[in-house]
Parts: sequence; structure tokens; C-alpha cells
Amino acid sequence: MLLQLNNIFKWVNAGGQRTFLLKDINLTVKEGEFISIMGPSGSGKTTLLNVIGMLDGFNEGEYHFMDESVHQLKEKHRANLYKEYIGFVFQAYHLIDELTVYENIETPLLYKKFKSAERKALVADMLDRFNIVGKKDLFPEQLSGGQQQLVGIARALISKPKLILADEPTGNLNSKQGEEIMELFKQLNEEGVTILQVTHSEKNAAYGSRIIELLDGRKVSL
Amino acid sequence: MIRNYLKIAFRNLWKHRMFTVLNTVGLSIAFAIAILLSMTAIFHLNFDSFHNNLDRTYLLYRTEQTPKGPESSISNPEPLTPALKEEIPGIASITRHLQSGIIGIFGEKEINLDILYTDPDFFSVFSFPSIAGDARQALQSGQNIIITQKIAKIMFGDDTAIGKNIMLMLNGVETPFTVATVLEDIPRQSSFHFDIIVNFVNNPAYSRQKGQWDYRNHEVFLTLQEGVSVETFQKNTRAFSNRYFEDDIKKDKRDGAQADANGQYIQLNLFPFKDWHFIRQINGRITGGKTFPFLIIGISLLILFIACVNFINMSVGINIKRLREIGVRKTLGAAKKQLFFQFWCESIIVFAISIVTGILLSKALLPGFKTLFRTGAVFSDMNTPVFLWGTFIVLLIVTLLGGGYPAFRLSKLNTVQTLKGTLKVQGKNRLRNLLVVVQFSIAILLISCTITLYSQLQYMQGKDLGFNKEQVISLPLNGKKDSQLVLDLLRNELLPIPEVQSITAADNNLGLGRDGSRSTSAFDFDYKGKGVNTNMLVVDYDYLKTLGISLVAGRSFDRNFSRDSLSVIINESLAKELGGQNILNTPLSLLDSKQHTVIGIIKDFHFRDLDQAIEPITLFFNRDKQLDYAYIKVNSANLAQSLSVVKEAWKKAEPNAEFLGSYLDENINRTLDREKTMTTLITCGSIIAILLSCMGIFAISLLTIAQRTKEVGIRKVVGASISSITILLSKDFIRLVIVAFLIAAPIAWWLMYKWLQNYSYRINLSIWFFVVAGVITVLIAFATLSIRTIRAAMANPVKSLKTE
Repeated sequence: MLLQLNNIFKWVNAGGQRTFLLKDINLTVKEGEFISIMGPSGSGKTTLLNVIGMLDGFNEGEYHFMDESVHQLKEKHRANLYKEYIGFVFQAYHLIDELTVYENIETPLLYKKFKSAERKALVADMLDRFNIVGKKDLFPEQLSGGQQQLVGIARALISKPKLILADEPTGNLNSKQGEEIMELFKQLNEEGVTILQVTHSEKNAAYGSRIIELLDGRKVSL
Repeated sequence: MIRNYLKIAFRNLWKHRMFTVLNTVGLSIAFAIAILLSMTAIFHLNFDSFHNNLDRTYLLYRTEQTPKGPESSISNPEPLTPALKEEIPGIASITRHLQSGIIGIFGEKEINLDILYTDPDFFSVFSFPSIAGDARQALQSGQNIIITQKIAKIMFGDDTAIGKNIMLMLNGVETPFTVATVLEDIPRQSSFHFDIIVNFVNNPAYSRQKGQWDYRNHEVFLTLQEGVSVETFQKNTRAFSNRYFEDDIKKDKRDGAQADANGQYIQLNLFPFKDWHFIRQINGRITGGKTFPFLIIGISLLILFIACVNFINMSVGINIKRLREIGVRKTLGAAKKQLFFQFWCESIIVFAISIVTGILLSKALLPGFKTLFRTGAVFSDMNTPVFLWGTFIVLLIVTLLGGGYPAFRLSKLNTVQTLKGTLKVQGKNRLRNLLVVVQFSIAILLISCTITLYSQLQYMQGKDLGFNKEQVISLPLNGKKDSQLVLDLLRNELLPIPEVQSITAADNNLGLGRDGSRSTSAFDFDYKGKGVNTNMLVVDYDYLKTLGISLVAGRSFDRNFSRDSLSVIINESLAKELGGQNILNTPLSLLDSKQHTVIGIIKDFHFRDLDQAIEPITLFFNRDKQLDYAYIKVNSANLAQSLSVVKEAWKKAEPNAEFLGSYLDENINRTLDREKTMTTLITCGSIIAILLSCMGIFAISLLTIAQRTKEVGIRKVVGASISSITILLSKDFIRLVIVAFLIAAPIAWWLMYKWLQNYSYRINLSIWFFVVAGVITVLIAFATLSIRTIRAAMANPVKSLKTE
């Protein structure tokens, strides 16, 4: 078991009324799973992803990540946990505009204080693997959307995470590029990386081994 | 990691180069100004610091309780110093100090020299090292003379100076002195400047003052023994003062003066010599106000503050656009600390560049700065540990606050919100607004001070002084010949020339002449059983006519009256004290109790600086007395040519003496140097302050306008006019400037009110000074803003709406 959510509630108080973003979510993710989260806009997909990614907190419930009780951890330890084990992929790629492809991929290693030689080796491997060696000195704006997302995934993978959280990774791409990215995810999953993706597309959802459907912050069984 | 920080920093700075340039330029100017100003302040604060016993060295002054209140004076009688040394414990060394000008002769060379008459202890109190000879030893003998290296060079070239004889014109007689010591040249930061030193007994008044307790003409300096406090000393001298100044005290009591808190009528006080450079006498009190250097430091800090505010506001403004990057970095594993350092690194780069350019800029500006502010400051003055550490600490604080604050705020932002871009930026402008208000308050404050100072200066320059200052040349009689003789020569030479109207002379100058010498003489006399104090001036024929001073009653000194040497003319102030115009033709018992008759009463005129009220003055006529300044009234359109005519006549009369004649208005202006320097300084300060502040709101307006592009577009679509949008976009800033005005105006009013109290003759503070300052600021701010607001208002709304 990689992570487990027990009766997770998250709400905001607006205008004296409590609006639930997540309502009684129970979820167990085993290592090596490829899960797709689906649901209409505003159903709480991204919020759930952020809660799992520990970027966002929750109001009630328990969250266990690899034998750690996240709900009891302090902010700093929680940050260390996600830095160690989780990689993020975003719909809008979120590459840093001022950095080249190489530097974007290198950044997580810098924050983890890897030695220069190690960084070089790891980044070179990653560039190789994604076939983007020739583009390493380009800036994000010089790349197509698909290529940018490729770099985004490479950056998420560089620190060898156990879990990849992808928030509509193909949302800004055309169908061909999207397919390529999904193929890549499939391949990564086969290599043992656990993947949780949020998607609108049935087709992309089908790549996963399991689909979770959300509606108004609730999990609905299919 | 550091390399990575630097790399990102440089790329970001390049990306926002407009702001980087604005920031660097602003900060560089601020740093350059701060360096120049603090250099000047340090230069003044370090004056006289080279003396070894500085902490224990004092100026002696006496405070006398008069019916008009306490009056302090730094002039002392001849026997005071020996008596103090004899009777008062705790004095390590004590010396008399009298400085004036004299003609020194060696062979063919005739030079005007600054001479110091002093005691051998002078060299124990002060530290003026010698190159050859023992100065203290040399001064034991009255025949020896001590000269500076500079004078040795001028007089003897490369020859040895020791043992040579120099003639000094003492009381009109050439008197020989033997050079016994050569001193190193006097340090730049010395308040004392002299060319030669001889024993105090040689001073021209010595025979008259010896043993006299009521003839005061010199300063006294002393060092206390270690461990002796000023209070102890002052206490110890009380019985001493009561004994030796008995006569003065009796008169004070008779005239109704109130004793001080200790029951004293005359108290000897000590003034720390380290503040001698700043000594001033305000309303009879001696003070060492260091207003000027601290004002300078204050202005430089204000300017630095303004530049830093710009930096903070711009960094926060620009970096708000980088929220997403911050969020991404956080998900990639950046700790707060690491983010802080990344942003701080960018600030440090900007600050480092600005500091370097600032230093270079200040070096480039130094020559102009020195002439503008008449300062002798050089960069090496700053090589003191205190200053270098002070600068380092100020820079560190500035960089930490200016660069660190934005970095700190950004590194603390919430990750999810930054990623989504939903972070509320608008609401957090309170600090920015506050800073802008403070910035503009400073600018408005400085501008209103500029206006007030300038008006006061104008007022003083244009004030009717009671005499004609435009067409009168004042000429120091610094030659070897007897002054009456020179005066006759000048009269013979110049009076036939049609443009010369009249010539006279006096023993004192008006204003400050090119000889740089000033003095005051005053004495007390009893009239109808009451003590009266008056200034005195010895004048020649035609004094009133030449200077255009009007008579209220009586007549002037006249060639047709033979007995005028026992006549005096008094001014209205004195006449008032003596009971009005009835005093005319009354005998007064003046100076050694000789009977003098008042033959005329003149209108009050400003014979002293404009910061002082007009005091009583008595004009004497005495053809045996040495006169020091000739006054020549010319009537010509070409003043420069008239001056050269006078110069030629002077060269004929005194071929060896330097011509130092100047028009009186020039002399009066010279007395206003302090005010002029201060006005220039505040003017420069306010220009830079308003410039930097406007740079700041310009940058902020760029950022906010960018944020409000969509709003502007929508408003235009629903029919807003260009002008209404311009006003909309400028409104918030103008409101801040108005708030700043409301804060700054009362402060400025209070400061200026206090400052004007220093002047007996001053302008009335008008509300308009401040209103004008406020209006100027609002206009400049509005003009700056409109550069961008109008453009934004004119933009095609379709475009701005599409960008969203």
C-alpha cells in the first residue's frame, strides 16, 4: 500500500455557509497502480490531487502515506515527504520560463543538494531517455506544447519519485501529442511508477488500471 | 547552487530590464549622494580630531548675568590666565590665544601673515608637531618666532629657516624675530589656521592690557588634568570669579541683574574644544550645535530611504508576476529558505551594481560638489574605522531590508494559490501605499524647506541694511604704511577722478571681506548711575556720506570742527537707551573716563550679521588710531572698472601689499555663505527626493496599469472618455501625495519656524510656501503618471480585452 485516505473532508466557509470541496473520501492506492480521476468541472478532482500531493491541507479525516500519518505531521515534515516521493505534472506544464530545458530538469536536484557531477549524469540520462538532448539549451517558449510537457514529465521524474500526480497532463495538447504523453505514462507505470492522473477524457482515462469518479466532492462508484 | 541563483538572477534582471535600470539608476544616485554628503559630514565632524588631548581640552568662556539676561563671552582679560594657573587646581595646561593679521618682512619680501600670539603652553594643549626646533621651548622667549613649513618655503625657499631673522610690523614699527621652530603644515581639518606664532607678550595691545581685568581681547584654551570634571572646575572657579570680577559684579547687581542658580553673577564655563568647529553664539548663549553635519546625514538617509522604497515597491510589484514560478519551485522541492535566497540574490546584485556605480558617480561628482558646497572633504577622510563600519552596517541593513523584505514576502506565499494564480495581490498594497506616502512626505518637506530657506536668503540679501552696499568698495589697509598716510595718498589719487565720490575709513569692516578677518569691539560705560554697553567703531571723515548712513539729528564729523576727537556719533538704539534725542550735545564719560560729546544720532544700520539684532554703537573720530579699512564710494555703471581704478591707486600707495578690495554687497553675501550652502544643499536634496519619488510611482504605475488593462478595456467599451480613465488611473496616487502633503506640511512648518528663530530679521512663514510645495509635488507626480496613464487610456480596448 502506497497511500490511504480515510473519510477525508475539506470545506470552505463562504458567506456563513459551509461549502464542501471534498466529502468523505476513502481511497487506497497500491504501489504500481495507474489511477484516473474523472468528474465534471468543480467536482474536486484537482483539490483531491493537491491533498494527496500535500500541497493543500484538509479539515477532517486521516491520510497515511507509506506508513506515515500525514494528518499528524508538521508542515515541514510533510514538505520533506512530498519532496522525496512525489513528482508533479501540470496541465499548463509550469516550466520556469527563465531556465533552459536542461536547467528546468536539473532544478529539483539542486533543491535536494545533489553534487554537480551527479546532477549532470542524471539530467543527461533523462534527456537521453526522452530524446530531447538536442533541445537541452532551448527555453520553454521555443518548444511545442507536447515537448514542454515532455520536459515537465522529465523534471517530475528526475528525483525518482514513487508517485506521479498529473493534473490534466494532456489538457493543453492536441490529440496526437496527448496520445504520446499517455503512452509515456503507460510505459512509466510498467516500469513501476505509481501514477494518479486527473482527466476529462474517457480515452485517456482508459490508460489507467482504475477510474475514480467524483461529483460535488463525493466519490461516486461506477 | 549559488551559481544557479546568480544565473537566474541575471536572467530575471535582464527580462525586467526597464525596472532594473530604473532601480539601479535610482539607487546609484542615492548612494552617490549619500557618499558625498556623509563625506562632508564626516569632514566637519572630524575637525580638530588630531589633537592628542582633545577629550580634556576646553575653551574658557564667561557667562555674566546682565539686566538683559545671561550674556556669554569668549574674550578674556590678560591676567586671568596666570591667575587661574596659579590658583585653580586641576588645570594641566592653559594658554591665551589671540590671532590677527600682520606684515612680515624678509629682505625684499613683504607678506601678509596670520599671526598667533600665544603662550608656550599652547603646544601642550594642542598638537602641532614641529619639523625643526622645539616649539614649546622656543616660545619661552619673546624674541623667537615659530613659522609653518609653508611660510618657510615662501620666505626662505630651500634655505634653512632656523636662526634667520624676520621683521614684523608691530604697532607700525619693524621688530626683528628669530626663527626658532618650523612647524609641519597645519592639517586641513584644523580650526586654527595661522602662519606664524610669537609669544603672547608681543601682541600690540599688551602694554595696555597688562594687569587689566577690564580689557578683554583674547580666547583662553586649557586642558584639564585626567580625572578632573568640568563641573568640578566650574565649581572651583566661583570664589575666584567673585574676587577678581568684583567690579563687574557690583555693576550687574546695581543694574538689577539676577544671579544664576548657584548665586553667581559671573561664572567661568568650559566649552569642549572638540565642538569648537561648530561654535555659535545665539542670543548670548554659546552653543556647539552640530545641526549642519547631522542635517546632511539626515538628508542622505532620507534619500537612501526613498531609493530603497522604490526598490521594495518595484521588486514586490515585479515579482508578483512570478507567483507561478514560486509555486512550481515549491512543488519541485524548494524550501522557503532557498526561495528567500534566490530572490535576495537578485536584490544583492542590483545593490552591488548600484553601490559600485554610486561610488564611481560620487568620484566623478566630487569636484563639482566641492565647489558647490565649499567643502574640503576628500575620499581619504572616510578612511576611519567608525565610518567604514558605519557604511558597511548601513549598506547591510539597506540591502537586507530593501532586498530581503520582498524576498521574504514571496517565499512565504501559499503554494496552491500561487500555482492557480488566484492569490489576491490587490489587497496587500497597504504597505506600498504607506511607503509612497512617506516618500512624498519627505519630498514635500524638503521642497517647502527649500522655498522657505530661499525666501529667507532672498530677504537677507535684499534687506535694506541702512547703508549703501552696492557702490561702495571696502579695501583692507593691509600695507606697511601708516593708515592715515595711505588714506591721504588714496584721497589724492582717487578724488580727482569723477566717478569716485568720496573716501573714508574705519577700524572695522562691514560684512566679511576678502581678507577673511572679522572683529568686534565693545565697551561699557556708566550713564546716570546705570551701566550701558555699546559697540565701538573708529571712523574717518565722510563715513556717513560714503556709506549713505542717514543722520537723525546733529551732524557728522567735520573738517571745520577742530575738536572732533572728543566727539562721538551714536546710533538710535544707543540714543534710546540713553533717553532719546535729548542726549544730543550731552557729555558722556567714555573710555578712560574722558568726556565725549554726542554730536550726532544716526539711523540704525546693520554693522553686524543679519542673524543678530542691531545693537548700540558709538562712532569715534581719532586720527591717531590705526584704521584698517578704507571705503570708496564710486558712481559708475561699470563697477568692475571702478574696482580696477581703485586697485591701481592702491598699488601706487602700497606697492608691496596685496589688493583685497571688494564691493560691500559681495562682503555681505559672504556672511550668508552658511545660509547659501544650506539652501543649495536642501535644494539639491529636494530635487533628488522628488526625482526618485517620481521614478518610484512611475514604476508602480506601470505595474498597476498592467494589472488593470482589462478593467480599462471594459470601461472604454461602456463609454469612458480618455480623460476620465487617466484620472481614474492617477487618482489613487494623487490621493497618496495629498495625504503626504497633510503629513509633511505641519512638520515642515514646525522645522522652519524653529530654524527662523535663529535670525533676528526673518520672513514671516506663510501658508503659501507649503501650498506651493504641495502643488508643485502634485503636478510633478501627475505629469509623471500621465506618461503611462494617458497611453493606457488611449489604447484600443479590443486589444486589451483580448489579452485576458
